[in-house]
Amino acid sequence: MSNVSASDVNNSEDWLLRVDDLSVHFHTPRGVVQAVDHVSFEVRPGETLALVGETGCGKSVTARSIMKLVPEPPGDYASGKVMLRNPATGAVIDMLAAPMDQVRATRGDRIAMIFQDPGKALNPSLTIGRQLAEVFGEHRAQMLLTNAGIDPAKAPLGSKSVASQRAGVIRRSFFNLTHRGQSRALQAAVDASVIDALSDTGIPNPRKVMSSYPHELSGGMKQRVMIAQALACDPDLLIADEPTTALDVTIQARILDLINDMQQRRGTAILYITHDLSLVRQFADRLAVMYAGRLVESGPALEVLRSPQHPYTQGLLAAIPRAGTPRGQLAAIAGSVPQLIDPPPQCHFSSRCSFSAQACTNHVPGLIPLPVAREVACLRFTDAVSLGVNQEQMPSHVDLIEVESAEAVSS
Amino acid sequence: MQVRQYLIRRLALLPLIMLGVSIIVFTLTRFTGSPVGIYATPDMTPDELAALEERYRLDEPIPVQYAYWLWGLLRGDLGWSGVSVAPVTDVIGLKLAATLELALFAALVAIVGGIALGTIAGVRRNKAPDHAARFFSILGASTPTFWFGLLLLIPFYLWLDWFPIGRSTPEIFDTIAHPTGLYTVDSVVSLNPTAMWDSIRHIILPAVVLGFGAMAIIVRMMRSSMVETMSEEYVDAARAKGLPEKLVIKRHARRNALVPTATVIGLSFGFLLQGAVAVELIFRWPGLGQWVTSAILSGDQATIMAYVLITSLIFMLINLTVDIAYAYLDRRVVLGS
Repeated sequence: MSNVSASDVNNSEDWLLRVDDLSVHFHTPRGVVQAVDHVSFEVRPGETLALVGETGCGKSVTARSIMKLVPEPPGDYASGKVMLRNPATGAVIDMLAAPMDQVRATRGDRIAMIFQDPGKALNPSLTIGRQLAEVFGEHRAQMLLTNAGIDPAKAPLGSKSVASQRAGVIRRSFFNLTHRGQSRALQAAVDASVIDALSDTGIPNPRKVMSSYPHELSGGMKQRVMIAQALACDPDLLIADEPTTALDVTIQARILDLINDMQQRRGTAILYITHDLSLVRQFADRLAVMYAGRLVESGPALEVLRSPQHPYTQGLLAAIPRAGTPRGQLAAIAGSVPQLIDPPPQCHFSSRCSFSAQACTNHVPGLIPLPVAREVACLRFTDAVSLGVNQEQMPSHVDLIEVESAEAVSS
Repeated sequence: MQVRQYLIRRLALLPLIMLGVSIIVFTLTRFTGSPVGIYATPDMTPDELAALEERYRLDEPIPVQYAYWLWGLLRGDLGWSGVSVAPVTDVIGLKLAATLELALFAALVAIVGGIALGTIAGVRRNKAPDHAARFFSILGASTPTFWFGLLLLIPFYLWLDWFPIGRSTPEIFDTIAHPTGLYTVDSVVSLNPTAMWDSIRHIILPAVVLGFGAMAIIVRMMRSSMVETMSEEYVDAARAKGLPEKLVIKRHARRNALVPTATVIGLSFGFLLQGAVAVELIFRWPGLGQWVTSAILSGDQATIMAYVLITSLIFMLINLTVDIAYAYLDRRVVLGS
C-alpha cells in the first residue's frame, strides 16, 4: 500500500522485529471492524519503542498480533507480515505465516509478554512455581535434564515429559516411583531455575512465593512474577501491554524501574503499549502513535514529544493536564473516534481535525518521511512541504487545538 | 491439615444431623397411619390386631414409639421389611450395593461424557461440535428416564438381544463370592471373565439411560464455564508462554472450568438416586429404588424410613466430598469459613 515507503528510513539490517503492512480485521455481525489498518514499524535490538494511542486504537491488537494471539475467528490477519529476526544468525521468521509449532517455540522463548492486569494473567488454580516451571519445561527441557545430571540423549522414559511439566498425573507419579533419585534431581533443577528467575526480579523469599497461589500475593508482587515469567528464557523482545495500569500508583514506578533495570542488564528490546506519555518520556527511545487502527506518527520519543507534527499527536499532548492549568479547564480533543466498521477511505482524524481540507476526506494519508528518522501521516503536511512552507511557518497546531478543546469542555 | 480438621468437624456433625432427619422421617411416616397392616393377614380379628399393635408397641404415643425405634436403630435393628420378608438390616446392604453400583456407573457415563462434551462445546463455540453437544444435552434433559429406557430396550433387548435385563445371570453369580456386593467388582476380584462380561452386559443399558439425563446438566455447566475461562487472560498468557493448545485447554482453561462444574456434579448424584427408581423398575434392577417403590405401594414403613435415612446419609457424604473437591480445585476457597 501507499505507506510502505517510509519504513526504509533506517535500512540497515539492524532490526529485531519488523511489522510490515499489518492489517487485522474482526468479523462481527455488524460488519468488518478494521482494528489494525496497514501498520508498519520496526523494533531494533535492545531499544524501547512505545506504541501510544487511546483505548480502541488498535495498539493492543497490534501487540497481540506480534505473538499471533488474536483469536481467529473473529479475528483475521488481512494483510502483512510480522518478522522476527534472530540477531545472532540473521534467520527471519514470519510469525503470521510460520507453522504453529515454530510460532509456539518462539512465544515465551524469544518474544514474551507482560499483561495489563497480573491478577488476571496468572492462573488462580496453579502455584506460581508451577506456572513458571511451564516456561522452562516448554523451552528449556534439555537444560533442566542436564542440570539434574541426566544425559538428555539417554534420558529415561518419562523424564522429558516430567521436565517439560507436561506429563499427566499418573505418568508423572509412575516416573517418580520408578526413578526416585532422578525424579528428585529433576524437581530440584526445575525449582532452582524458578527460584533464580524469581529472585532476579527482586522478589523476597522466592522459595515461599514459588509455592504460593496468585491470590496470596499483592498486585505488585504478581506483576513481578509476570516479569520473571516473561524474562525466564531471556527473550529478545518483551511486549509490555500497559504493564502498570492495573497497579497502585505507588507501585507503578517501581515496576517500570524494574523492567528498565532488567532491560539494561539483558539488552532486551521492549515494546510498550501504553497511553501514559510520562512513561514514554522516561523510558522510550522511539515513539509510534496510533489512531483508529493506523499509525499516524513515529520518531525518536523526545523529538516527537517536543514537536509533534500530526494534529492528533498535538491534541494528545495538549490533553495532558499541567500544573497551573486553571481549574475545570482540562483539554480534550473535540469529537470522538470514528467507528471502524467499513470506514470510508479517508483520514480517520479528519472529522476532528481543525486543519482538514477536501483532500483529507478523499485519501488515506500515507506516512511521509521527515528528517531525524521521523514519519507522519498527514495530507496537510504534504501540502505544506510541497508548497515549500518551512516547518517553522506552519500554523501552531497546539494552540488552536487547546483553544478549541477548552471550548468543547466548557460548553 | 486444614482439610483433615474440616473433615473431622463435618463428620462429627453428621450424627446430629442424622438424628434430626430421623425425627422428621419417623414422625411424617407415622402420620400416614399405623404400619400394622404390613404384619397383619386379612383373616385376623380386631383382638388379634390389637394384640399385634401392642406387641410392636404401636399403641404408644409417637414420641415413645420413636424412642423405641431409635433404640433399635442404635442396636442395628431397623425393623421388619414386609416387602422383603426379612429384617431391613439384612436386605438394605444388598439393595444399597446394587443401587450404588448402578449410580456409580451412571455417574461415570455422566461425568466423563459431560466433561468431555462440555469441553469440546466450550472450545468450539458455535461450531458443529458445539451444536451437536447442545442438542444432545437438551435431549438428555428433556427425555423422561422411563421412556428413554424403554426406547433403548426395544432395539437392544427385544430385537437384537445384545443386552439382557436384570442385574446378572443368577447361575453365574451364585457360584462366585460377593465380598463387596458390587457385581462388577466381585467378578474382577474372583477373576472370573464370564462373570465380568455378564455383569458389564447387564449394567451398560441402565447406566447409560440413568447417566444420560445427569450428563445433560454437566454438559451445559461445563460448556458455559469453558466459554468463560477460554476468554480469561491467563489462557492467553499460557499461549504466550508457548504452551501447546491442548495443554492450554486442559491445564489452564478446563481446570478452572471444573470449579463450578463440581457443584453440578454433586447435585447430579441426587438426580441419579432419584432417577434410579424409574430405571430400576424398567430394567428389573434389584436396588433401593425398586425396593422403596414396592414399600411405598404396600405401606411398609420400616423400609421407607430406612431408605430415607440411607439416602440422606449418602447426600451428606456427597456434599462433603464436593466441598472438599471445591477447595482442591479453587485455591481461593477457604474451608469452614
